[in-house]
Amino acid sequence: MDNKRFEQLLLTVQKPGRYSGGEINSVIKDKSKVDVRFAFCFPDNYEVGMSHLGMKILYSEFNEREDIWCERVFAPWPDFESVMRNNNIELFALESRDPVKDFDFLGFTLQYELSYSNILNMLELAGIPILAKDRTDFSPIVVAGGPCTCNAEPIADFIDIFFLGEGEKTDLQVIDLYKEFKKNGGTKADFLVAASKIEGVYVPSLYDVSYNDDKTVKAVTPKFGAPMPVKKRIEEDLDKTYYPEKFVVPFIEIVHDRAVEEIFRGCIRGCRFCQAGFIYRPVREKSVDTVCRQAKAICDSTGYDEISLSSLSTSDYSDLENLLNNLLSWTEKDKISLSLPSLRIDNFSDELLEKINHVRKSGLTFAAEAGTQRLRDVINKNITEDEIVKTCKTAFKGGYTAVKLYFMIGLPTETYDDIKGIADLAQKIVDTFYEMPDKPKGKSVSVNISVSNFVPKPFTPFEFHSQITREEIIKKQEYLKQCIRSKKISFSYHENKTSFLEGVFARGDRRLGKVILKAHEKGCRFDSWDEYFDLQKWMDSFAECGIDPAFYANRERSYDEVNPWDHLDYYVSKEFLIKENERAKVGKTTPNCRLQCQNCGANILGKGVCVENR
Amino acid sequence: MFALKTVRLFFVKKGNARFVSHLDMNRFMTRIVRKAGLDIWYTEGFNPHPYITFALPLPLGFEGRYEIMDIRLNNDDFDISKLVSMLNGVCPSDIQFFDAKEPIKKVGEIAFAKYEILFDDNGEIRNKLNSFLVKKPIICRKRTKKGDFKEIDLSEKIKDFQTTLEGDNTKLMLILPAGSNDNVNPSILFEAFYNENPNAYYCYDVKRISILDKNLKDFL
Repeated sequence: MDNKRFEQLLLTVQKPGRYSGGEINSVIKDKSKVDVRFAFCFPDNYEVGMSHLGMKILYSEFNEREDIWCERVFAPWPDFESVMRNNNIELFALESRDPVKDFDFLGFTLQYELSYSNILNMLELAGIPILAKDRTDFSPIVVAGGPCTCNAEPIADFIDIFFLGEGEKTDLQVIDLYKEFKKNGGTKADFLVAASKIEGVYVPSLYDVSYNDDKTVKAVTPKFGAPMPVKKRIEEDLDKTYYPEKFVVPFIEIVHDRAVEEIFRGCIRGCRFCQAGFIYRPVREKSVDTVCRQAKAICDSTGYDEISLSSLSTSDYSDLENLLNNLLSWTEKDKISLSLPSLRIDNFSDELLEKINHVRKSGLTFAAEAGTQRLRDVINKNITEDEIVKTCKTAFKGGYTAVKLYFMIGLPTETYDDIKGIADLAQKIVDTFYEMPDKPKGKSVSVNISVSNFVPKPFTPFEFHSQITREEIIKKQEYLKQCIRSKKISFSYHENKTSFLEGVFARGDRRLGKVILKAHEKGCRFDSWDEYFDLQKWMDSFAECGIDPAFYANRERSYDEVNPWDHLDYYVSKEFLIKENERAKVGKTTPNCRLQCQNCGANILGKGVCVENR
Repeated sequence: MFALKTVRLFFVKKGNARFVSHLDMNRFMTRIVRKAGLDIWYTEGFNPHPYITFALPLPLGFEGRYEIMDIRLNNDDFDISKLVSMLNGVCPSDIQFFDAKEPIKKVGEIAFAKYEILFDDNGEIRNKLNSFLVKKPIICRKRTKKGDFKEIDLSEKIKDFQTTLEGDNTKLMLILPAGSNDNVNPSILFEAFYNENPNAYYCYDVKRISILDKNLKDFL
């Protein structure tokens, strides 16, 4: 399609800037001078995908190599999708506008389970066979990485290669191997077998899965010498890990429109519901010098006036004060504000508040997760009610009149008292505000409680638990609504339908592949967007495939059951997860990695917090 | 202590940049002046940001050949002849500055804008345009602030027009009211034209080539 016609069509859709490309720092190369073309595909819209740090890292890392051209691809919003279908426009990459079906690699990032249907839709729009077994040509090779690869069995039928863990090194090794095969004219089958030998590579077609009569997994058996178990890959020294000096700066406003500097990977805390807290172990920090140097480079190359210090729990950085002082020595002068997402309640101080408010004031959000101390102990949150109240007091003293608190409902052992506890805690925070003699004058307080639904995830101590049903979710949400008495408390919650489907995929197995294919044929896409999510289509798809989704989401699993992900090794042992789950049942907390090693298994890597001097 | 210095910057917006809305242009320019390292005046308040104002917003999809924005520099000794190259060094090729000078006229003096529109046809459409644009009245639909439409007559508003043939295209030059008092987006005129001539004559290329004062002199 010629550019003129393409641009005319762009003007007929919402936000044409999603598809036009040409942003600052986007990379244009001469396609005749590269050996490998890689389409980095984010299975959601531009605004969500462009906010993703992993894409920025790999995009720059790949493009630093002269022989690789990495371009970006996002799921077209339904208005543009119909324009594409009506005008026979195949899925294209933003930089070159070339069809991705002519690329060597399509690399999807799996950030959340509800993006799976978009992957199928993007393959279809690209004109590429959806099932991996139907893709007999050598290229494109369809690969996928990201957190969901720790159990991406539900989409194993559609992907040639999964990358487990951190991809900075694995991806380039696979690309180099591909180049060799392409040059020597090897077959795709041979390439996949050879790739499976690279650490961090999981080729699902090289493993057979058998099932018991009770429908649980019997065994996963490797073929052609594929490794067992498949180990995740980590970056050992974050000071030496590639980090981009430039980010593509979008023209249109995206979800997280700011510079991002990653300060560490992993989390010391071990909250029992949190998958990220286990699959990214061990904690590895960047030094203060590295963070400052990288943060400055990104601000200079983008013109952003805000930098976010990214990690799973930013206030746990071991030298936070020194880090902030160093950053403030130039950010203040350059009118750059610091934002610290993921602040913990138990180490929030006046000084910290003062530092993050130097240039602009941002909102304050804290994760309390559960309404009562009993339940917070069950999930190993390790914060007390006093700490929550004290933190809000600090915020109010600092001039804040609004705080946001995160909670979950549906956690293991939860009772209606725990639900009421959420409302009581919010009320206590409201009361605290009005009891303060030095409260901000003439202002009213607002406590925003945001309640999501707990979804049990693989590689967590709660992977054995059943998820509460949709009906229970609705009942608990209704009950919580009744418990809230004050107009100062606002309450927002997640849809039960999407949480249910997320729960099915999170712990699903390969038999779900045909359900996803069927749902795709019925038109399912953008499932994480309430306006497009259609549970009925999904339930019809389950029924037509003879699969009961509750088997995956709402069933208690025994410790000796073979989980669909048990052949993947994230260095956190099942014995440890079982031990933690038993401690949860009796409300016993576990100290964090810095206080005392719990022998989860990650110390075998001999890196990061596991070998810190204490 | 230096006094503030207001500078008027002139730039071109074309290619992919045509898909950048006015609101997004604002954010884009904020980053560009920061990236260029200009010592620019920041608004003082809750959310300090570089002071930037645009003379006349450009509708989404149009190319702009004479776009204008004003900034304030903290240092009135600054050699403004350096600004064009400083800014272009950090801009994508579809947004490029071509002049920087101290403002001569006030933004309120903007009265007209001149457009150049290419049509994908070399014969018939020129005659149709010529007869359409001299009709009285020319009824067009305009979206009101409330979100509904009202009908207005644009026949009195067309200050000047001219059609020419250029290779396989018909080129229309059009001058319409612009600015804070009276502003006509040429799109509504084309919409009315297409309603009368539903064949697939497609204009693919609208350029705003200059911004004028009430005497049809360039706004400087």
